[in-house]
Amino acid sequence: MKIAVCVTQVPDSETRINLAAPASELDQSGFTRVLNPYDAFAVEEAVQIKERLGADCEITAITIGGDKVLETIKKDCLAVGCDKAIRVNDDAMIGADSMQVAKVLAAIIKRDGYDLVLAGKQTIDGDSGQVGPMLAEYLDCGHASVVTKLELADGTFTATREIEGGAEIVTGTLPAVITCQKGLNEPRLPSLPNIMKAGMKPQETVTCADLGIDVPPAHTTITTYTPPAPRAACRIVENEDPAAAAKELARLLRDEAKVI
Amino acid sequence: MADPQSVDFYRFSRNLSDEERSVRDTVRRFVEQSFMLDIRRHFADGTFPVEIIPELGAMGLLGPSIHGPGCAGLSATIYGLICQELEWGDSGLRSFASVQGSLVMWPIATYGSDEQKNTWLPELAAGRKIGCFGLTEADHGSDPGGMETRAVRDGDGWVLNGSKLWITNANMSDVAVVWARCDEGVVGFLVERGVDGFSTNTIHGKYSLRASDTGELVFDEVRLPESSRLPDARGLKAPLACLNQARYGIAWGVVGAAIDCYETALRYAQERKQFDKPIAGFQLVQQKLVTMLTEIVKAQGLCQQLGRLKDDGINEVPMVSLAKRNNVAMALDCARTARDILGAAGITDEFSPGRHMANLESVKTYEGTHDIHTLIVGAEITGLPAYR
Ligand SMILES: Cc1cc2nc3c(=O)[nH]c(=O)nc-3n(C[C@H](O)[C@H](O)[C@H](O)COP(=O)(O)OP(=O)(O)OC[C@H]3O[C@@H](n4cnc5c(N)ncnc54)[C@H](O)[C@@H]3O)c2cc1C
Repeated sequence: MKIAVCVTQVPDSETRINLAAPASELDQSGFTRVLNPYDAFAVEEAVQIKERLGADCEITAITIGGDKVLETIKKDCLAVGCDKAIRVNDDAMIGADSMQVAKVLAAIIKRDGYDLVLAGKQTIDGDSGQVGPMLAEYLDCGHASVVTKLELADGTFTATREIEGGAEIVTGTLPAVITCQKGLNEPRLPSLPNIMKAGMKPQETVTCADLGIDVPPAHTTITTYTPPAPRAACRIVENEDPAAAAKELARLLRDEAKVI
Repeated sequence: MADPQSVDFYRFSRNLSDEERSVRDTVRRFVEQSFMLDIRRHFADGTFPVEIIPELGAMGLLGPSIHGPGCAGLSATIYGLICQELEWGDSGLRSFASVQGSLVMWPIATYGSDEQKNTWLPELAAGRKIGCFGLTEADHGSDPGGMETRAVRDGDGWVLNGSKLWITNANMSDVAVVWARCDEGVVGFLVERGVDGFSTNTIHGKYSLRASDTGELVFDEVRLPESSRLPDARGLKAPLACLNQARYGIAWGVVGAAIDCYETALRYAQERKQFDKPIAGFQLVQQKLVTMLTEIVKAQGLCQQLGRLKDDGINEVPMVSLAKRNNVAMALDCARTARDILGAAGITDEFSPGRHMANLESVKTYEGTHDIHTLIVGAEITGLPAYR
């Protein structure tokens, strides 16, 4: 079985964003970049599948990015159990939108052929959640998103999806694209010997031209980043009688805040 | 899921390889996930979280720089970074790893027979077996050469009598590396739990290093075969060389404790308001923070150079002594300053500096006290030993 895991780097969630006024670009110089947390579930799932299937399974981590992504690929993918990595390094893909990313990933996946494609359910920076489903469209295969449980048997998959207020169980045939949600598994930490060996695993770097495709055009452009509006001062319901205070609070929540 | 970034004012990380940074960050995450949630309880109860031992083994954190069966043989710098991150959590955790790696696996790898290496190293590296190191006795601490534990030849084997005190991992250990005097000088043995006449006791009522097992080893007519002696360990210099390995790890480790104290104090000072402004905005508090940071940066520089030298085969006792002496005192000062900046909050276990402060008192004393290291460096530079 050939498994592709699509991963990307995002700013650490504790990054402080310095944005005093609306701007067309973010100052990213102080950002620490880490593996997108949902991608860690995809990597772990691939490694667990390989552990169940034994040697007859190969995991390829696929990413798009500059040289900074290499440390994450080594530490969080190859050291954890991926067998090799492919990176698209193309200046034209800096700041790419979801559709551009999906098209380029699809080109690699079509070139090499995979039985299963795993990815995070969304990135924690762009937050679009679109890359997985778009990728499935370009590959003309099935997909299940926001998956919290995955079973494979005889060329089919059964995935449990998280939906509003419950779970949905989806079955389909492989190849398929599965996007991973928290709860699917517990990502492991790499052991020291595996960290040391990660650098020796095969890594391929390609451009769009190497893949035989033109750089796909962007369909969306980010025009402005604005800082969140400052929070309004909080209101304290002052009333000696707790029952009356609760009543007043409920009224405010219903009639003014309109949240209940 | 923050990527752990240690205090790195002088960008020492630039001198590390990708692998070294990955190891550092991975160990930090491991300590956060597997150790920090329970440390307050273990410190309060005076217990060591034994369930973490196989995890340490699976991660490859036990004796990582040892060369031998089942051992990873990684660099001294990597070993140092691991110690730093473990002690960022607690000195008790780093002490466990120091003893297992530098004081048990290292002497077996260095002085042991092939049989001893094959039997013990893979088990100790995996954390399936636990070791301890018995050199100190009740009446012989800084001067272990005066030890009273005796080994006497008895036919093909030996008989061991005496006791060892202040022994880390004593009660949890499956095997003890024990140093004793015989007619020819100091010899070392591997004494397994369960052997007739060998028992261990716990030391209760510690103020310091509470999340660590400290105890006593007692040998009452313990009969040992010749095969349990470490064949290549000859004289007092053998256990002293083990200590030189462990001290190297301590020099790195305490920087982790100091970093945690500094970061805790900095965060607190930025949030705590008095006289209508954050206390971090007062000159006196800034001076304390800047002094802590400066001392941490200097200690980081020492460690990095010490590590690179050790990787090049240079591991001289006075150099390691200077780093152990400086860095432990530095960390203890940072812990005290951090405790001070936290005010009353600093005396509770809700914040770590008080715990580090108590722990570092042990670290200042064990593996050669601060003053003994002064004398080692003093003897080196003057040519005049001042021990006696
Ligand atoms: C928590 C803990 C864990 C330990 N774990 C181990 C272990 O696993 N294995 C092991 O073998 N030992 C262990 N030790 C023992 C440790 O190594 C000794 O405590 C240490 O060597 C000091 O010996 P001492 O306590 O007997 O102090 P002493 O040697 O009695 O020293 C008391 C004071 O006198 C000073 N002093 C002594 N001689 C001189 C001199 N010549 N000139 C000037 N000042 C001097 C010392 O610096 C110190 O300030 C541990 C200790 C502690 C606290």
